[in-house]
Amino acid sequence: MKIFVLKRLAQVVVILFLILTILFVLFRLAPGDPVSRLVDPNLTAEEAQHLISQLGLDEPIWTQYVIYLKNFVTGEFGYSFHYGEPVATVIWEKLPNTVLLFTTAVILAALVGIAWGKIAAWRRGKFADAGLTIVALVTHTLFLPWLALLLVWIFAYHLDWFPITGMVSDEVWLDPDAGFFTKAADVLYHMALPLTTLFVIHFGSYLLVMRSAMLDTLKEDYILLARAKGLTERAIRNKHAAPNAWLPVVTSVGLSLAFSINGGALTETVFSWPGIGRELVFAVSHNDYPLAQASFLLIATVVLISNVVVDVLYAYLDPRIRY
Amino acid sequence: MIAGKMGAKTMTKLLTACILALAAVTISGGAAMAKSPDIIRVGVLQEPKSLNLWLASDAWSKRVLNMIFQPLYIREPKSQKLVPWLAAEEPEYDGYKIAYTVKLRPAKWSDGTEFTSADVIFTGNMIKKLKMPRFNSKWKFVKKMVAIDKHTVQFVLKKPKAIFLTRTLTTPIVQKKQWEKILASVKGEKKPLKKFLRYKLKNPVGTGPFMLANWKKGVFVYLKKNPNFFSLNKTIDGMALGPHIKGIIFKVFGTADAAVLALRKGDIDFYWNGIQAGYLKSIKGDPKIKIYTNKKSALYFMGFNLRKAPFNDVNLRRAIATLISKDFIIKRILQGYGDVLHSLIPPGNQFYYNPNVPRYGYGKPVADRVKMAYAILTEAGYTWKVPPVTADGKVVKGKGIMLPGGKPMAEFTILTPPADYDPHRAMSGQMIQEWLRAVGIPALSRPMAFGALIQKVKGQRDFDCFILGYGKLSLDPGYLRAFFHSKMDKPRGWNMSGYRNFDFDHLANSSNDAMDPVIRQEMIHKLQVMLMRDVPYIPLYNPLVVEGVRTDRFSGWVPTVGGIGNIWSFCQIKPAK
Repeated sequence: MKIFVLKRLAQVVVILFLILTILFVLFRLAPGDPVSRLVDPNLTAEEAQHLISQLGLDEPIWTQYVIYLKNFVTGEFGYSFHYGEPVATVIWEKLPNTVLLFTTAVILAALVGIAWGKIAAWRRGKFADAGLTIVALVTHTLFLPWLALLLVWIFAYHLDWFPITGMVSDEVWLDPDAGFFTKAADVLYHMALPLTTLFVIHFGSYLLVMRSAMLDTLKEDYILLARAKGLTERAIRNKHAAPNAWLPVVTSVGLSLAFSINGGALTETVFSWPGIGRELVFAVSHNDYPLAQASFLLIATVVLISNVVVDVLYAYLDPRIRY
Repeated sequence: MIAGKMGAKTMTKLLTACILALAAVTISGGAAMAKSPDIIRVGVLQEPKSLNLWLASDAWSKRVLNMIFQPLYIREPKSQKLVPWLAAEEPEYDGYKIAYTVKLRPAKWSDGTEFTSADVIFTGNMIKKLKMPRFNSKWKFVKKMVAIDKHTVQFVLKKPKAIFLTRTLTTPIVQKKQWEKILASVKGEKKPLKKFLRYKLKNPVGTGPFMLANWKKGVFVYLKKNPNFFSLNKTIDGMALGPHIKGIIFKVFGTADAAVLALRKGDIDFYWNGIQAGYLKSIKGDPKIKIYTNKKSALYFMGFNLRKAPFNDVNLRRAIATLISKDFIIKRILQGYGDVLHSLIPPGNQFYYNPNVPRYGYGKPVADRVKMAYAILTEAGYTWKVPPVTADGKVVKGKGIMLPGGKPMAEFTILTPPADYDPHRAMSGQMIQEWLRAVGIPALSRPMAFGALIQKVKGQRDFDCFILGYGKLSLDPGYLRAFFHSKMDKPRGWNMSGYRNFDFDHLANSSNDAMDPVIRQEMIHKLQVMLMRDVPYIPLYNPLVVEGVRTDRFSGWVPTVGGIGNIWSFCQIKPAK
């Protein structure tokens, strides 16, 4: 097992190096540079050139690549061209907001999706199965921005139950008497609509995966044996069938959790949620190479490591799997 | 796994608990929403990129930073004339020394220290020393600055420069005490400007009506009233200034949809961005929202690459100008919220605008314009397989236009920004394509990512035609020189069309040095005629800025060119009774 983990980690390092290089090349191939976007008649050609030189963008491409690799190895991701701040600072300011929203959404959607998927499979062909499957298919195929705007329109604008967008209320956060719980409740209040949107969009996929895996499991001989032993239906479902159907679900949830740090530009934009997804799109569209590169790299690292963790979990969940 | 062990009942309980928790949070959240009556909430689409004003010069950053950092002179809202702001009176000019003397107003920085000549001189020297992008071109002709006394500065120029008054003296002044430490920290650096622009300013000290109180990144910026503001409860240029409010909260929205909904709901009091025509129908019916429509100092145009054929032929450019229906663009694309542009200086700039320039078929019916364009091109030697005008004068669809040498005109592209960036420019490109194709000119409108478009047009200079615009042009017409002088025809230079005209260069140089406004006005008028005769750009439109405010919260907005979002408004608005 140890050898397997070490091998997988070595693969991660090689893949990361490749990703680093691809990211560097891709961003340099993209047309434009950070200075070309400054459409300001006050910026003369000489000043633009001066700025490019100061930002190091006139260095030969190989020099830039070597500096980039060196910085990565030393944990220095450079400065955002747009914000003029260290990239790590910009990312760490936005990442917790994204993780809070998206990880909560994935966990909630997975819990509900798995439980209902189990029920749907157990009651195959009955009303509950048909109903849950249709609901899952419909919600999973909804267009996220449309659903998000609809929820905002109904629950925030017309019913006034929730704020239209944003992550916090200025009234609460500028109030010196507001304590931790008041602020936490304020964040939850703002999270309600984006969380509901993400939940509605995502729970269906877990439900369908779980249902499918359970249906395969229910055909197995050990389920027949459990019945022959006279076990209760509940015990067969929860202790014999469900645990054996977890494998594909674990992969799906594990990767979703990993990707949740990437956030979602659409959700974050519609709900004005100050997360990493919006920042990533902004960085790419504004040729902010250091910020875009570091953000993609962070996502790649987390996804690669999650893959290793999921592989290891497989062996834990299914004793038949040995590396 | 956990869910796997849970039964349906457990899940139902979990969901019920979640819904109850949300309900509780909704009630508690709603209860906390009591608004202060004298803090205005302003919706914006981006927060400042930094509080370091030398880095953050984009329009969104300026909305916030212009409330903190102030210049010596600013434009008065009605006539747009420069009036003393941090300066106490009009500058005195000594033609013999080529020097201006500026007396400063008694003022304090937001930290309570005195504003003096040293701050002004420090700001100018710092810009020159670091060759500060966007500012250095306004200061490099200042030979030296002398503090006559604590509140009087003399600026000695290398040679007369018209933009000294309009551009140099409108530069924001920073506090020497705060910035000299920052400047010292980059001394000896290999790339001092890089380090300087990256300096993270946490507590900017300014002389403006507001000062930073709180910034929750990505969510809001709160500026509170500066008790040391030099014009607090005083009158400047006949206007009684406050601020009469406690502060401004700039709330960041991800989309215009959300911001407009927030305005209608009352979550914000003013949406500081042009409201697109599509939203206006629903907003206009709301009695609590007032719509202000103002002119913009903007210029949206179609440009040609004069470095290559066939666009180096003025006849083709004039014919294209004749075929474009500017009225259609205003009525159908801008839905009436814009003005037709005939010159490269917008009409809002009343002093320098010249209405007497060639208008190329403006106001005539389509058939007449096609005939006019056909006449221009035929006379220049262009021919067609199927001419757009028949022998009996009937207008038909033209096909197969050929250049004067008899070679077929190759298809060319009109680059535009994509529709998600600017639908007006993208749609204008489409329409121009159709108008040109109707007479057989093989144009193809091609939307392109903004950065890539600029790179192609300004950096590589590899293009045929393009549609671009400037949303906020300075009222000083010095940009004509920047846009069309031969010296600016270089990579990253502003002469994107590659226009080269010796007479223009000479007159533009003279206009730059003319200190007498009337003489300069005459020169600028002539430059506009030259440009519209040679048509390197076809001016298309100047959109109106449409803004919405809540009438139940604040009153006293000051309309001006560019809209009601300006420092005069924020110094004068009062909570509604």
